[in-house]
Amino acid sequence: MNSPLDSTVLFQIGPVPITQAIVTTWAIMAILVIGAFVLTRRLDLRPTRRQAALELMVATLDTQITETTGAAPAPYRGFIGTLFVFILVANWSSLVPGVDPPTAQLETDAALAVLVFLSVIWFGIRAGGVGGWLKTFAAPNPVMIPLNILQSLTRVFSMFVRLFGNVMSGVFVIGIVASLAGLLVPIPLMALDLLTGLVQAYIFAVLAMVFITSAVEDGARTQPNIDLAPSPTKKDS
Amino acid sequence: MTLDWWGLGLQAINVLILVWLLSRVFWRPIAGAITRRQDAAQAMLEEGKTAQAKADAALAEVAETRAGIAAEREAILADAKATADKVAKAALKDAQTKADAMIAAARTAIDRDRNTARKENATRAAELSVEIAARLLGRFNTPAVQATFLSQLVEAIAGMSASDRTALIASADDIEIITATNPEDEERAKIEQAVKDALDGTPSVRLVTDPDLIAGLELRSGHFVLHNSWRADLENILKEVESAA
Repeated sequence: MNSPLDSTVLFQIGPVPITQAIVTTWAIMAILVIGAFVLTRRLDLRPTRRQAALELMVATLDTQITETTGAAPAPYRGFIGTLFVFILVANWSSLVPGVDPPTAQLETDAALAVLVFLSVIWFGIRAGGVGGWLKTFAAPNPVMIPLNILQSLTRVFSMFVRLFGNVMSGVFVIGIVASLAGLLVPIPLMALDLLTGLVQAYIFAVLAMVFITSAVEDGARTQPNIDLAPSPTKKDS
Repeated sequence: MTLDWWGLGLQAINVLILVWLLSRVFWRPIAGAITRRQDAAQAMLEEGKTAQAKADAALAEVAETRAGIAAEREAILADAKATADKVAKAALKDAQTKADAMIAAARTAIDRDRNTARKENATRAAELSVEIAARLLGRFNTPAVQATFLSQLVEAIAGMSASDRTALIASADDIEIITATNPEDEERAKIEQAVKDALDGTPSVRLVTDPDLIAGLELRSGHFVLHNSWRADLENILKEVESAA
């Protein structure tokens, strides 16, 4: 059995090695995009069961964002929702025989963490400007600047490590058990891995949302004109 | 352990592309559908409120119209009642006038009938009285009465104007002396002689008996009658009584 820390390179595009995780990611992207396109082709004012289920999912996500951050969900829905769906599908892709989940590779989780780190900066600057975002590092006083910078790095790093560790360990344990006890014994562990994948996707999305909201709120405090409270009349389109 | 930076960058780009694609084909369309439904529901609510307002306005208008109809009905009823009262009063007055006229006409007719009856009664009473008197007087037709009538006849002839007497004598052939009873010859001759004497003796007279005279003597010719009897007196009395009635 190969080390879970190693990436299997399938082919090279120039200097870029294309690993199995990347190909799996492309496949997941294709499935998600095509599935989303197919599912959202015929949306009507009188929803079908399919449309009602999709709307329930989006409404639940919006509610989760609003309850977690207290902010209007529209600006964050696409990023947070896509993170959750992608990580969930990636985690559950381990159920397909012969497929290793992309989130079991360091590069994928690191890329997700980097995106969360950059999105925190992006939303923070958009809420309070560059000055407002930089001032968040001096809160509550300038002495905290080094610690805040360190915190902004370590919390993202912890997300990345948490996701990688959980998914990778699950895949590794199932692989070990399957190699030792055949096909049926790993099934409970695979079911547990489903739950783990769901929980990890949820945790990753919620933490990303919390980090983004924290940056937005801190930036907004330096810009008193910005209202973070969700407006009931604001359109979430 | 090594980190594949190419792989990290590719995965980050992949996720970014996925975020962009899903935002366009999944999150926005569904959120848009939810928003459209909310807008449609809001529009339906607004439309419902508008319809409710229109319904309330229509209801108020109907109530107002109904009140107007009720008022108009009351006015029509009052007008009809006034007209009916007026017509009834006019009819009553007309009937009263007609009744008064009929009563007056009836009273007039009654008075007329009463007068007529009274006159008839008076006439009949007078006639009856004359009849009774005639019968009573018939009992007193004595020679003395006859002599008195003869003397009165002679006086009447004597009282005539000369022209009348001349005209009477000119028609002496037709002169009749009417008596109530057939007198004896002596009496007849006495009467004829007295009349001749009163007429200057020249004419010839005929003596005719007429019991209707009751008593008395009358002189008649073709164009002349000299009444001198109780019958004539009673007829005069009867005419006077009738004239007085």
